[in-house]
Order: sequence, then structure tokens, then C-alpha cells
Amino acid sequence: MVNQNAQIYTIEGISASILMIMTAYLIISSSSVVTPQETHINDMQLEQVGHDALVVINTPREKGVQSILYECIKNDPVPHPGSNADFNNYFNQLLNSRTFSENDTLHFKIQLYYRDRISGEIQPPIDFTSDNTAYLRDDAVKVTQWVKMGNDAIDPDLRDKIILVEALIWRS
Amino acid sequence: MAKLNEEGQWIILMGFIISITILILALIIAESSLVGKTTSESVLEFPKTDIQDLRSLIFQLKSNNWNDLINPDYRQDIQTLFSERKNAIVFYYNDSRILYIHYNNGITSYNEIHEEK
Repeated sequence: MVNQNAQIYTIEGISASILMIMTAYLIISSSSVVTPQETHINDMQLEQVGHDALVVINTPREKGVQSILYECIKNDPVPHPGSNADFNNYFNQLLNSRTFSENDTLHFKIQLYYRDRISGEIQPPIDFTSDNTAYLRDDAVKVTQWVKMGNDAIDPDLRDKIILVEALIWRS
Repeated sequence: MAKLNEEGQWIILMGFIISITILILALIIAESSLVGKTTSESVLEFPKTDIQDLRSLIFQLKSNNWNDLINPDYRQDIQTLFSERKNAIVFYYNDSRILYIHYNNGITSYNEIHEEK
């Protein structure tokens, strides 16, 4: 004869074990919990992506030619309109295209810094280009590249100088 | 003296096990919010790309038969921009065909002697 005592305890034990296994599974399957305050991980990845894109655009394609970044700065008219379509096309594609999913939503604003030879001071930055998205205090990173301009730049202020290209990049 | 009641021991044991399990799981969740924080902070703090870009620029200046490297205007451009925009002190000079590069942002310093054959 089967003993029919303590059935409710058996049920409790089984349900408790299922509960524990489910909880353990949920915790292990979500490899990391990122709290809203913790932005360092995203910043680190964003900085690497942005710097890589900027390096690619600042690298000449072959010997004897200048990089895309150099050409875009060289041909930017005076006064600087604050939007360079050629550069935006290349840079947007580098930043936002992904292999197996739809495009990322990274935005950018790029400024040029240079030193005036007579006063020796850093001049107010030139708004080189942006993708016409307002910056609304999202988490942003700053990446930079150096460009050695020659004598062929349209803007006489930039001729024969070493300029700093600063890009502010954020995701929205 | 009344006899000690020995019933319900399984319930008490289960209660202990479950409460200890919940405690351990809560600890794991609390820890996991810090996953990658120290790593990503140190990656962000280390000026890897700054040093790479500085080296790249200086070697670009050197490529033109060392003439751009000794140009004081270029050196002043780089030093002023580095100190005002990148919070770092840089210096470079050459002794015939030996190139010296120094970088210091207060936390990380980088010194290189590059001898060209």
C-alpha cells in the first residue's frame, strides 16, 4: 500500500526546486546586467568604433594621394558652411553600417582646431560638419585625428598647419 | 514536562534552503551590475589612441626626409594643441637619425627612442 502522507510537502519541494532552477537559468542566461548609470562599457565601444572610422577616413588609399579627410577639409569653402556632404557620406557609412542588421543610429559633430601662427593661440574651432542632428546631452565620446595640411587648402587660415580634427559621437 | 513537538521539520528545512538560495542569488545580481566597470574604466583612461596618433603624425613628418620634423611651427602646433585639447605634454626631437618621442598626460607617460638604420 502506497503511503499517502505529506503530499503537500512533496509538491512544495518540487515547486521550490523549479523556482530555483528557473532563477539560476535567468541569471546565467543574462550574462551581464548593465544598470543605466553604468555607461563606461558603451563609451569604450563607441570610442573604439569612432576612432577606427576616423582613422580609416584619414588614411590615403594609395601612395601619392591624400586621404578623404584631407581632401574634404582642403575643399571646404570659406566661410565654412558647417556641413560637408562628401565627408558625411563616407563617415556615415563607416559609422553606421552593420553586417546583419539594420543601420546603427550614431550621430556626429566635427570641429577643427588650429593654432594661429602670429598670436600663438588656439583659435575658436571651425564647425566643419555634422549630420544635422541636435545634440541633446546624450552620452557622447570624443575622438580625434591629426591632419597635416599643405598649401593647397582653400581656407588660408588652415594652410601649412597641423590641425586637430575633433569628432563628438553619440548614439540616440 | 511537555514532549518536544517534532512535526514540520521538512518545512523549516525547506524554508532555510530557499532563503539561503535567494540570498546567494541576490548577491550575484548585486555583483553583476559592476561587470566590466573596472575594465572599461581602465581602457577609457589609457591614452592608447592618443599615443598611436602622435607616433603616426611624427612618422609622417619624418617621412619627408626629416625636414618637416625640425620645423618649429609644426612642433609648436602639436605641443599647443596637445596641451590645450588633449591634456598632455608632448615633445619630440631628433639627434641626426635618432628620433626621440615623449608623451605624458600625468597618469601615463610614454617615451620612445627610434633609431633609423
